Amino acid sequence: MATTESIQSAYIDYVLTEGHEPKSVYLFAKQNEMTEEEFYRFFGSFEAVEQNIWTELARRTITEAKGQEIWAQYSARERALSFFYSFFELLKGNRSFAVYSLKKQPLTLSNPRVLEPMKHLFESFADDILRDGLETGELTDRKFFSNKYKDALWMQFGFVLKFWINDNSAGFEKTDEAIEKGVNVTFDLFQRSPIDNLLDYGKFLAKNGGLKERMGF
Amino acid sequence: MSEDKAREQNSIPTSKVERSAKFVKTGFKVGGNYIKHYSKKLFNPAMDRTELNEDNAADIYESLSELKGSALKVAQMLSMDKNILPKAYVDQFSQSQYNAPPLSGPLIVQTFRKYFGKSPEQIYDKFNLRSTNAASIGQVHEAELNGQKLAVKIQYPGVGDSISSDLKLIKPFAFRLLGMSEKELNVYMREVEERLVEETDYELEVRRSIEFSNACANLDNIVFPTYYPELSSKRIITMSWLEGMHLKEFMLTNPSQELRNQIGQALWDFYNYQQHELRAVHADPHPGNFLILPDGQLGVIDFGCIKEMPEDFYYPFFSLTSTNLLENKEETIKAFRKLEMIQPNDSPQQIEFYYGMYHKMIGLFAKPYMSSTFDFSETAFFEELYGFGEQIAKMPEFKQARGVKHFIYVNRTNFGLYNILHELKAQVKTDTYKPHVMLVH
Repeated sequence: MATTESIQSAYIDYVLTEGHEPKSVYLFAKQNEMTEEEFYRFFGSFEAVEQNIWTELARRTITEAKGQEIWAQYSARERALSFFYSFFELLKGNRSFAVYSLKKQPLTLSNPRVLEPMKHLFESFADDILRDGLETGELTDRKFFSNKYKDALWMQFGFVLKFWINDNSAGFEKTDEAIEKGVNVTFDLFQRSPIDNLLDYGKFLAKNGGLKERMGF
Repeated sequence: MSEDKAREQNSIPTSKVERSAKFVKTGFKVGGNYIKHYSKKLFNPAMDRTELNEDNAADIYESLSELKGSALKVAQMLSMDKNILPKAYVDQFSQSQYNAPPLSGPLIVQTFRKYFGKSPEQIYDKFNLRSTNAASIGQVHEAELNGQKLAVKIQYPGVGDSISSDLKLIKPFAFRLLGMSEKELNVYMREVEERLVEETDYELEVRRSIEFSNACANLDNIVFPTYYPELSSKRIITMSWLEGMHLKEFMLTNPSQELRNQIGQALWDFYNYQQHELRAVHADPHPGNFLILPDGQLGVIDFGCIKEMPEDFYYPFFSLTSTNLLENKEETIKAFRKLEMIQPNDSPQQIEFYYGMYHKMIGLFAKPYMSSTFDFSETAFFEELYGFGEQIAKMPEFKQARGVKHFIYVNRTNFGLYNILHELKAQVKTDTYKPHVMLVH
């Protein structure tokens, strides 16, 4: 009896051995002693299989990260860092597949389709931690911008993923550095910064009109 | 807390470009400080360089503390050589011996998972994710296992990689700061690089720590933490926690002369036992590596930097510091030649000149060895030492490379030791572990 997992692992095994996806669902099903219909009961296409593998990884990461005792004490920034580290640690076990899956489509800043469903999961997770961060005042609530924070995080994620694919360092230590720096920079931008103070000051000057004339402009 | 956090989360620039940018920035600032200095001096010719030195030191420290890793290590090394650096540099650099911004909690968890497959909470009964202090290329966390309090040292990722590129970047500053020639630096930079690379190997450090603490176990009033190799790895060292005070805090408690002597003696014995019996020495005698325990014992907490002394350095050098060789000019010059302080193509006048200078220098260095006890609180000795150092630093004859590379760490070790003993104001019996002397042939 086929399961999501059995199909996924058979698929991974196939693409990594053959270097390409099976010619048809029919052939793939036959090789794995199931009917085509059975396959479709779980997935609509091979792409859906890949998408699900990615989403599954992210889901496991989130469960694992949240399962840590320390989680409750973490700030939003640390939660994001923790997600990144856990995700890439988990991904190590599936590196060949990840490389295969991402190299098929050029990984640019636009999202590869295989990551599409995972992105939704990521965003809802990011939303959660960012909202907490905004509530505690760790992050600055900025009109129009606050709801773009999660997009910035996703972009950061895409960047680290690309970095990791090309990382040759032992134990992917460089990726750890990329995460530490990248996520921190992103969160630095979410925090109150001199720009906010500058805008604030500008607003103040604008509101207290007449100043311009007095200053002789 | 939020202030804390901001510092904690500051990013460490690690790519070479970023680091270069950092140094370039400092270069501009230092340049700017000079301009500031000279423009002020135009109006006030009496002004001395103290303010300039302070400005420079602050800027350099600021940039080094952001860089962490080997750059911080170099800052620490520079701060050792009080005899070379003006006081303002020293004060700023001394700060780097205790504090540097720590890494994020998740990265620490990640490091543990990478090397042990477990999170710190799974390994220890208790683990404090906030680090208690920085250890220049790593940071120290408090932990507990089976009722034993532990110190867990964790190394920053990527430190090993950035060492040689850091040293290249720091060279121009070293020229400027120390007024050294490039040739001289290259000889020494390689030596420094070797030691620094060794320092990033925590597995080696654990092995050496165990070796040295066993070898020195018979010394009085010296204690070492217990190391746990099974809880250590390439990037993590677990050792028992020593409770104690750093030198500065200790001196503030106004300790008795007797107690200061006891600690000074322990320190002296520790170093001279290593130099003369083990021929390899803990070459990092900065105050941050020692703790003074409540019972008056001295704790040694860092064996990252070990300098081994080859025989062709040890014998000529320590023959000089032993009682009567310096009185024999011919033999002394022979030794100087072996140590490359006098070089084959030196003219007779040069030989005469360097003989005179080095004779005085070694004579000064050897002073504590010349009698059976020595009072390190004696300011006159140190003033003479620093004064001579400064005098030499200004001489054009000393802009060239002189002396074998081993001097850099041996000098650092011994002057570091003298400095700590001076700060302790200790009187020490100096004949406990004497050099093994042999005539140079």
